[in-house]
Amino acid sequence: MNNDCMVEIVDLRKRFGHHEVLKGINLKVKPSEVLVIVGPSGSGKSTMLRCVNGLEHASGGHIYVEGIDVTDHKADINTIRQKVGIVFQSFNLFPHLTTLRNVTLAPLKVRKSNSGEAEEKAMRLLDRVGLKDKAHAYPAHLSGGQQQRVAIARALAMDPDLMLFDEVTSALDPELVSEVLDVMKDLAREGMTMMVVTHEMGFAKEVGDRLIFMDDGVIVEEGPPEDIFTNPRSPRAVDFFSKILSHL
Amino acid sequence: MKSVPPALVWLWFALVLALVALICVLVVRMLRTHQRRAVLLALGNGLAVLILGFVVSLLIELPAIDRFLNEFLNWNIFSKTWEYVIKGLVVTIELAVVSEVFILVLGLIIALIRISRIKAFRFFAAVYIDVIRGMPLILQIVVIYFGLGYLGLNLSRFMAGVLALTVCYAAYEAEIFRAGIESIHKGQMEAARSLGMGYFKAMRYVVLPQAVRNVIPPLSNEFIALLKDTALVAIIGLAEVFFRGKEMMGRYANVTPLVWAAICYLIITIPLMRLVQYMTTRLSLKD
Ligand SMILES: Nc1ncnc2c1ncn2[C@@H]1O[C@H](COP(=O)(O)OP(=O)(O)OP(=O)(O)O)[C@@H](O)[C@H]1O
Ligand SMILES: [Mg+2]
Repeated sequence: MNNDCMVEIVDLRKRFGHHEVLKGINLKVKPSEVLVIVGPSGSGKSTMLRCVNGLEHASGGHIYVEGIDVTDHKADINTIRQKVGIVFQSFNLFPHLTTLRNVTLAPLKVRKSNSGEAEEKAMRLLDRVGLKDKAHAYPAHLSGGQQQRVAIARALAMDPDLMLFDEVTSALDPELVSEVLDVMKDLAREGMTMMVVTHEMGFAKEVGDRLIFMDDGVIVEEGPPEDIFTNPRSPRAVDFFSKILSHL
Repeated sequence: MKSVPPALVWLWFALVLALVALICVLVVRMLRTHQRRAVLLALGNGLAVLILGFVVSLLIELPAIDRFLNEFLNWNIFSKTWEYVIKGLVVTIELAVVSEVFILVLGLIIALIRISRIKAFRFFAAVYIDVIRGMPLILQIVVIYFGLGYLGLNLSRFMAGVLALTVCYAAYEAEIFRAGIESIHKGQMEAARSLGMGYFKAMRYVVLPQAVRNVIPPLSNEFIALLKDTALVAIIGLAEVFFRGKEMMGRYANVTPLVWAAICYLIITIPLMRLVQYMTTRLSLKD
C-alpha cells in the first residue's frame, strides 16, 4: 500500500451472482490526478466507481482511499464517503428540497455544521457552478444541465478529496453538456482528484492526465489519453475508438 | 304495535328528502362546473327512481310502507334514543384516533423491518403481516381481550380495542409504508448515503419525506376503514356508537336507533372521504 496514492485498487473483483463483472482491477490514482475511464457498455466502469465509495461491496481485493481500506467491514464507510464525492448520470437530486437545501443537507445532518455557515458555503458553491439565482428553486424547475451542476455543488459541500463522475453528461441534451463539463474542468484545474467515466473524448483529451480503457471487467489499456486515442493497441480498443471518435 | 299517524309518515319522508337534498346541494357546490352536469344527471335519475318507487309502493300496499317506517324511522323512538347513541361517537372517534397514532408508529417500524437487509428480520415481519392479515379482526379483538385477561393482564375494553386495532391495522399500513418507500427510486438512497449519511439518516431526511406524500391518500383511506371497524369492538362490550345503537334497538324492539347509528358514522366518514379525494387530487396536481 502506497501512501502517496489518493486511491489504490488492488486485484478488485466483483460478482453479481455467478456473473463476474470485475475480474481483477489494479489501479492507482495520485492526488490531483484526473483519471478518465472509458470502455464499452457493460464493461464494469460504473461498478468499479461504485466500489470505490462502497455503494457496491467488492467480492475480492482491496480499495484504499487515502490509505483506508474501503472493503474492510470494520472501516467507517460514512467517514470515507465524506471524502469521496460522487455524481451520477441521473443527477439524483432530492426533489422535495430546494437547491440550497440539497446542498446544505449533508453538512447539516452529517457534519452538524451550523445552518448559517452551511448556507453561506452552499451559496458560494452554487455561485461557483453558476446557479446562485436558483438557490430557492426546486430541482423539477431546473434544466438537466442545471440539476447536474447542483449535484456537483452538493458533492463539493462535504469538502471531498476525491470526486467520482459516472457519465454525468450522458443524460443531457447536447447543448447542455458543455456547461457541466466546464464546471468539471474548473474543478480539475483547481487540483481536485477525479475519476471520470465519460464518452466525451474532447474532455478526456483536454483535462485527462491518464486514461484507462476497460473491457469485460479488466483494464485493457492505460496511458495518456492522446496516445491511446491515436494509437490503441488492442483490437477491442481500436474498434471502440474508431466508433466513438467517428461520432465527433 | 300501534300504527304511526300518517301525518308523521309524511313528515319523516319530507325530512329524509330534505336531508338528501341538502347533502346533494353541498356535494354539488363542491364540484367544478364540468363535473357538476354529470353529477346532477346522476342525482336526477336517482331521485326519479326513488320517488317512483315510493309512489308505486304507496299505491300497492300502504300498510307495508307504514310498518317499514314505523320500524326503521320511528320519530318517537328516535327522540328517546338519539342522544344516547350519538354520545358513543366520542368513544368511536377516540378509539380510532388513539389507535391510529400507535398504528402509524408500529406500521412504520414493521415496514422498516420488512425491508431490512437482515433476512431473519424480513422473514419475521413478513410472517407477522401475513398472519395478521389472514385472520378476521373481530377474532383478534376477542382473543386479545380475553386472552390477556387469562394472562392476568386486565386491560380495559377501550385499551384492548386499541391494542387489537393497532396490531391488526399496523400490518396493513406496514404494507402501505413499504410500497411508499419502495416507490422512491433507489438512486435517492444512494445519493444520500454517498454524502456520508447513515442508513437511518438517509431514510429520515431523504426517503421518508418523499414516501409520505405517496402514502397519505392510502393511509387516509385506511383511517376511514378503521373508523368503521371500531364497531367490531362492540363484541367485547365497549359502548361505542354501534353498541349503543344495538342496545337501544334491543330495549325498544325497533331498528330506528341502529339506522341513526349508521347516520352517525356517515356524519364522520362522508366528509373524510371527500377530504381524501380533495387531498389526492391536490397532491397529484403538484407533480
Ligand atoms: N446490481 C446489479 N446486479 C446484477 N448485475 C449487475 C448489477 N449492476 C451491474 N450489473 C452488471 O454488471 C455489468 C457491468 O455493469 P456496469 O454498469 O458496471 O457497466 P458500465 O461499464 O458502467 O456500462 P455502461 O456504459 O452501460 O454504464 C453489466 O453486465 C451489468 O448488467
Ligand atoms: Mg455505467
